[in-house]
Amino acid sequence: MERKEDIFEKAVESLKNDPVPPGPAQELVDATLAQLSERSGRSGTEEFGDGMSVGKRLKTIRSFGRVAAAAVVLIAAGYAIGRSFAPRPLDMEQIQAAIEPAIGQNLLDETRQYVQLSLANGYLQIKDELSQQYRQDLSRVAIQMLAASNTATNELLTELIDSIHMAQIQDRQRVAAALEQIALNQLRDRNQLSIAFAALAVQTEDELLRTKQDMAHALSCALPDNPAPHEFEDPDNPNERSKK
Amino acid sequence: MIDWQAIIEEHGPTVWQTAYRLLGNDADVADCFQETFVSALGVSRRQQVRNFPALLTRLATARAIDQLRRRFRRPHGNGSPDDGSAVEDDSPCPAQQAQQRESAARVRQLLCQLPSQEAQAFCLRYLNDMSYRQIADELGISTNAAGVLLHRAKAKLRELFELSAAGLK
Repeated sequence: MERKEDIFEKAVESLKNDPVPPGPAQELVDATLAQLSERSGRSGTEEFGDGMSVGKRLKTIRSFGRVAAAAVVLIAAGYAIGRSFAPRPLDMEQIQAAIEPAIGQNLLDETRQYVQLSLANGYLQIKDELSQQYRQDLSRVAIQMLAASNTATNELLTELIDSIHMAQIQDRQRVAAALEQIALNQLRDRNQLSIAFAALAVQTEDELLRTKQDMAHALSCALPDNPAPHEFEDPDNPNERSKK
Repeated sequence: MIDWQAIIEEHGPTVWQTAYRLLGNDADVADCFQETFVSALGVSRRQQVRNFPALLTRLATARAIDQLRRRFRRPHGNGSPDDGSAVEDDSPCPAQQAQQRESAARVRQLLCQLPSQEAQAFCLRYLNDMSYRQIADELGISTNAAGVLLHRAKAKLRELFELSAAGLK
């Protein structure tokens, strides 16, 4: 950029310092002077109107005089005609008295109309503003109520979830306790059942032995060659032992 | 009564130089010289001239720019101002001399593309070393307006010069 500016500045400098031959030549000066003097003379002639004779000048002046007189006559005639056909001067007080009530009435009517229009416009404007304000308030209250109900609903839902959770925990605890109780009962019943079965077995064995003894006694009584009934006695039988 | 002979003898060389710098050949400069003094005569009839050198310089610049515009507007005109009458300067390098001559010719050509008032202001300031106040007085504008005019003229000319240089490349 700087180089371009340098080039431009150098170009301007070279134009400024462009060598100029000496001049102007004397012929040119003379020609210029001649042209200037010619122009001066021509313009002087045009300006001052030299060459016009006195008779021509007088004729010109007379023709100007005639035109001026005709103009004066025309102006005077126009003035006279205007005066003759001019309307009478107006009575300002009469006009004022005539038009004042009408103007006042018109003014009152216009003022009334203006005030009515202004009031109507103001009423409409206020109505619009109030309805707009009402809508805005309504929207705001609705939004607030919705937010509050949402909050309350959320709280209630949270409480419900907590209570359900607690109930589930309690139910689980109760079920666990019941299952434990059932298991204990089963164990106890099993023990009692085993004891009862053992007792039943002992009693059954005793009864069986006694039946055997009875049968053996009965057989011995019926058959004397048969061995003594004590042969069928079991020395390990506790009943027999108790009898002995 | 104005003594035109004295004025021509006193300020004729300045007018010649101003016109030659922009036109670059004797025939166009002679026309411009005569037109300048005829215009000065017209101005002196309409108003009192207080600064003849400045007036003549401004008129010579304006007439020379008009002449340049006519020259570059010709359909077959190549715009070359060189008629063989250019003075050889004392530059040691012919290539540099040719380059300077080409740059000067390009600036002359680009001056024609500026508005007349801007071109005049540029020439008066950068070729004739006139002050802002003198330029403003001669162009009938305020000093600030002259400054603005010069700034615009220089910026436009630089832009045109760069575009022209880019086009040549």
